[in-house]
Amino acid sequence: MTKLLSKIAKRSPWLYRINAGSCNGCDVELATTACIPRYDVERLGCKYCGSPKHADIVLITGPLTARVREKVLRLYEEIPDPKVTVAIGVCPISGGVFRDSYAITGPIDNYIPVDVNVPGCPPRPQAIIDGIIEAIKIWETRL
Amino acid sequence: MASFLKIALRNLFKGPTTDPYPFGETFVPKGLRGKAKYNAAACIACRMCEYVCAGGAIQIREVADKSGLEFILWHNTCTFCGLCEYYCPTKAIRLTEDYHTAHRQEDKYRYVEKGFIKYVNCAECGTPMVPISPELLQRAYRQVNREIERLRHLCPKCRQKRALR
Amino acid sequence: MTDIGHLIFNLLIFPGGLFAIVLGLLLMGIDRKIVARFQRRVGPPLYQPFIDLVKLTRKEIIVPETAHLQAFRLAPLLGFAGMIVAVILIPIAGVYQGLEFSGDLLVLLYLLSLPAIALMIGGSASSSPFGAVGFSREMVMMMSYELPLLLVLLTVALKVGLKTGGIATFSLSKIVGFQLENGALLFDYTMLPALVAFLIFIPGTMGVVPFDIPEAETEIVEGPILEYSGSWLALFKLTNALKMVVVLGLAVALFFPTPLGENTMLNLLWYFLKYLILLVISITIVRTSTGRIRIDQAFKFYLKYPTALALISLVLTLVKG
Repeated sequence: MTKLLSKIAKRSPWLYRINAGSCNGCDVELATTACIPRYDVERLGCKYCGSPKHADIVLITGPLTARVREKVLRLYEEIPDPKVTVAIGVCPISGGVFRDSYAITGPIDNYIPVDVNVPGCPPRPQAIIDGIIEAIKIWETRL
Repeated sequence: MASFLKIALRNLFKGPTTDPYPFGETFVPKGLRGKAKYNAAACIACRMCEYVCAGGAIQIREVADKSGLEFILWHNTCTFCGLCEYYCPTKAIRLTEDYHTAHRQEDKYRYVEKGFIKYVNCAECGTPMVPISPELLQRAYRQVNREIERLRHLCPKCRQKRALR
Repeated sequence: MTDIGHLIFNLLIFPGGLFAIVLGLLLMGIDRKIVARFQRRVGPPLYQPFIDLVKLTRKEIIVPETAHLQAFRLAPLLGFAGMIVAVILIPIAGVYQGLEFSGDLLVLLYLLSLPAIALMIGGSASSSPFGAVGFSREMVMMMSYELPLLLVLLTVALKVGLKTGGIATFSLSKIVGFQLENGALLFDYTMLPALVAFLIFIPGTMGVVPFDIPEAETEIVEGPILEYSGSWLALFKLTNALKMVVVLGLAVALFFPTPLGENTMLNLLWYFLKYLILLVISITIVRTSTGRIRIDQAFKFYLKYPTALALISLVLTLVKG
C-alpha cells in the first residue's frame, strides 16, 4: 500500500529554487523550464512553488557566498522531509570560476547533502530536466 | 485583456509546441558547446589549455611512476567557454555537442574526461619525452619530408645537436 | 432515522463529500490543462490535483515555533468543514433537491466566507510577516467581493419573491423550483447584469490570477498558506476544490438550473457541462489573459463595476416586478 502510494506521489514533485549568490544565468535557465512552452516542466507534474514548506525538490544555484550561507541553511532546514537536493550549474558543485575567492564558502555539499549534480554554465534546459528526472528517482525511494 | 485573449485563443487552436524531450527526441543546435572531449594521441602537452581554462578544470600532471602525463578535465567546474579548444594548437581538445550533464552525487569526482600521454624514448639518447603528434607536424610544416619525420623521434636536445651538425 | 441516514449519505458521499471532492479536483485539473493549452504547453495530466493531494499526505508537517498552535491547526479544518456543509445546500436540478428550509441562501452566504476566514486565521496564527500581509489583503478582498455577491443574491431573491407573490424568498430550493416552472433567469434581460456581476465575483472569491492578491506567490510567497505543509496544506487545497464546486454550483442554481430531461445520469452530465462552461468563462480565460492587479485597484474595481451591475438589476427588478 505504501509502495503504491509513493508510486503515485512521485508524479507530483514540487520544485523550489534557492539562489545562493548565483549570477542569475542558471536561474534564467530554470525559469525557461517552467515558463517557455518548449520545455514545459509541468508535464512531469512539477510546479514551482513560492514557499519552502511546500517543496519536494530543491534546486540550488550559485556558489554559496559567505553572506548568504546562513540564510540558505535556514531555508534548507525549513523544507519538510522527504526532500531531494539538486545542484544546478558548476558554482554550487565546485565553485566554478569563483573557486578560492574570499567571498565564497562553497562547495555546497560541505554544508547540505546534495543528491544530483547538473554541471554547466549554465546547463541546457534539457539537462536540467534530466537532473529533475534523476532527482525524482531518488525521491521515490525516500517517500 | 482583449489582446492577450486573442493570443491565447490563437494558441489554443495552434496546439502545443512543447519539445517531447524526456520522452522523445530533441534538437541540438549546431555548434552547441557541450562537454569537452580529449584526444591523447594528438596532444603535445603544451599546457596551454591548463593555462587558459577559465574554471580551472584542466590539469596536466606527471603520473607517479613517471611513465607519462595524465590529462584530467573535471566537468563539474568546466564552464563550456571553449577557450581550450580555441587555443589548442593541435585541436586535441574539442567541445562536443553532448549536453547530458546530470549525474548523481556519488559520481561527482568521477565525472571527468581523462587521457594519458605515454612518454616515448628519444631515438638517440633514450631520454623519455612527450611524443610529437602528426597534427603538430602538419601545423608546423607545409610538407612533411623524411628528414622531419626522423627529427620527430628525437628529444629537443638531440634535435638541437642534429640541427647544429 | 432514515432522515438522518439520508443526511449523512448526502454529507459524505453524494452530492457532498466524496462526489464534490472528486468533481472539484477534476475541475481544477481541467483548468490547469486548458491554461497550459492556452500557453501552447502540454500541461499536466487531468488527474494531477489528485496526485498532489496524495503526495501532500506523505510529507512532514512543520509548525513554526512562534505560531499559535491551536489556531494554526484549526484554521484548515474550519474552511474545509464550512465548504463540505455548503456543498449539500446546493441543489442539482433533476438529481438532488437540496435541503429544503427557508433561508438556506443566507446560510450559504455565511458559509461561503468561511474559507476566506480560515485563510485569515491561518495566516495570522502562523506568525509569519507574509502571512500577516496576506491576512490583511484577504480581508480587503473579502470586503470588496461580498457586497456585489449580497446584491446579486438579493436581486434573485426579490425577483423570485415578487413573482411568486411574497416579498423576497431566501430559499434556494424555491428559487430553483420557480425557474423549473417559469424558465431560467438566464433568459430574463433584467437579470443579465446580475449574472455578469456574479461571473466577476467568481475569480475574486476563488483567488485566481487578476485577484490572487492575498496569495500572490511571486510577491508575498503564497501569503497565508506559506507556513502550512503536508496534510494541512492538502486540506486547504481540498477546501479550494470544494469552494469551486460551491461557487459554480451556486451560479448554476441561481441562473440556469434547467435539467435536460428525466434521466438522472444525463442530468448529471448536463450539470457537469454547465460547470465546465462556467469554469472556462469565469476562471480559465480570465486567468490566462490578465495579470495580477494591486489590492487597491481590486477594491475599487469590485466596488465600481459588479456593484453597479448588480444595482441595475436590482432596480430593474423592483420597477418591472
